[in-house]
Amino acid sequence: MSATAILIKDLCKEFPVPFRRETVKAVQNLSLEVPAGEVYGLLGPNGSGKSTTMKIVLGLVRPTSGTTSVFGVDSRRVESRENVGFLPENPYFYKYLTGLETLLFFGKLCGLAGSPLRERSRELLHTVGLEEAADRRLGGYSKGMLQRIGLAQALLGEPRLLVLDEPTAGVDPAGAHAIRDLILQCKQRGITVLLCSHLLGQVQEICDRIGIMDRGELLAEGRIDDLAGKKNQIELVLENATPALLESLGAMSRASGAQVVSQRGARTDLEKFFLDVTRHRS
Amino acid sequence: MNQAQNPFSLSLRRIWALSHNTFLELVRLKVFYFLLLFAFLIIGSSLFTVQFSFQNPLQVLKDVGLGAMSIFSWLLGLLCTANLLPKDMEDRTLYTILAKPVSRFEYLLGKLYGVFLLLGLSVLLMSLLFAGVLAIREQQEIAELARNLSPENLPAAVAEIRAATFQMNLLPGIALILLKAMLCSTLTLLLSTLASSSVFTVLTSVVVYLIGHVQGIAREAWLAGGQASPLLKVLVAGMALAFPDLQLFNVVDEIAVGTALPALLFWQVAGFGGMYILVYFLLAQLVFSTREL
Repeated sequence: MSATAILIKDLCKEFPVPFRRETVKAVQNLSLEVPAGEVYGLLGPNGSGKSTTMKIVLGLVRPTSGTTSVFGVDSRRVESRENVGFLPENPYFYKYLTGLETLLFFGKLCGLAGSPLRERSRELLHTVGLEEAADRRLGGYSKGMLQRIGLAQALLGEPRLLVLDEPTAGVDPAGAHAIRDLILQCKQRGITVLLCSHLLGQVQEICDRIGIMDRGELLAEGRIDDLAGKKNQIELVLENATPALLESLGAMSRASGAQVVSQRGARTDLEKFFLDVTRHRS
Repeated sequence: MNQAQNPFSLSLRRIWALSHNTFLELVRLKVFYFLLLFAFLIIGSSLFTVQFSFQNPLQVLKDVGLGAMSIFSWLLGLLCTANLLPKDMEDRTLYTILAKPVSRFEYLLGKLYGVFLLLGLSVLLMSLLFAGVLAIREQQEIAELARNLSPENLPAAVAEIRAATFQMNLLPGIALILLKAMLCSTLTLLLSTLASSSVFTVLTSVVVYLIGHVQGIAREAWLAGGQASPLLKVLVAGMALAFPDLQLFNVVDEIAVGTALPALLFWQVAGFGGMYILVYFLLAQLVFSTREL
């Protein structure tokens, strides 16, 4: 069993431009490795090649050159997807199926059947908080509910790798919070996660390492603290501090050669405030 | 690159899950009920319109019934198949499905089987109505005979009517109607793997259907007299190979007038249809397996 969940080597993908001899280079010489159990964030502006990379990892798109493998199995092989769960951006499912029927359908595609499939589907509906909507058709689901049923179908086959493309796109803060918690639960259970997101705050909270892509190239890669942390600065949050204490702290800092860069009243996290307010109402 | 995906990876459970879901999807389409209703109206109303015909009423009923089944099963297969792939691609449900351990071969086969299930159900329902219409007409004919014939001549006349109503070769005729619809659906599936819009798929499929019906006549006309140039012969041969001669399935017309269908001819036409279904499906798989999603 490979300790590397995703291995990408010298990956290039070019798309031909219709009626021209030109090609668009979507991915250029990309090499990266995601060890098993890690949460890896793939960041970049629109058109940077993130989704193409994801699709190649999932075997949906063929690379022009280079190789990708999932747990040591070539991505082009069907078997490489036996350990993978995928949630596409803004997922659409068959609207005429209920939540439970959707999971039963995708479960059968994962090779599950009978009562184990039914039990696993019920368990996942509970996990994503859709137990009460299990027998409702997906046509009546909200965007957040669709994302959650999408996450449930991705988790059906007990995957060792989760590939999530903008998992909280268009979801309200409460829904986004619930999805983030689910991803963190997966992380705790040792599931490797490849996450594409524009919500940098969320990525910072969840991911162990990130890679930043632009125009098909990997520009930076590493641990978030190493990439974004300010090594010579430290934050200090005080409660009930008097003006005299602040004055003396400032004087001590200056005396030791340090510099107070900023000083402002602390604010609560806006997401936390929003969730507190809406939770009280409900 | 020696680890390339096996394009023919096969799991019957996954194929069944896909075909069952496709069947459910198609059964929920309004076009299914709309076309079935039209077919029912035509087959059902033939019971009344036959009174205004000077031909043998049972023959007219068979003509109308089998004709309606042939047209509506083809139309149903065409309209249901044309939008299958484009819709899954547009809605991105295709990504979610193919991100599971499902090969493109299984996906395509599952979709096609779903259409075949729908066609089978439609033809079965239309056949039941057709049989009902024939049974009602049979009873009307027998009642009329009973009024006009003496009791000693009646049993022979009734037996004759019964033999003329439910001939055994109606069944192979209906089977060929189903096979023709399946063949045209597979062709539509192939076209939808090549096309980027379902309108184009529908139009092209209709054109191929028409070519399939006239190509036999055109072939005979062009090659008549042995004066055809080698280039024309190659063109005709190419056309005959690419497009199925759908006129072969018109043995159904003979069945309607009561001609017995030789078993050999039935199996030849069935084999011909089956071969085209296989070839068109393999071509569809070839195109779909190389298509960028």
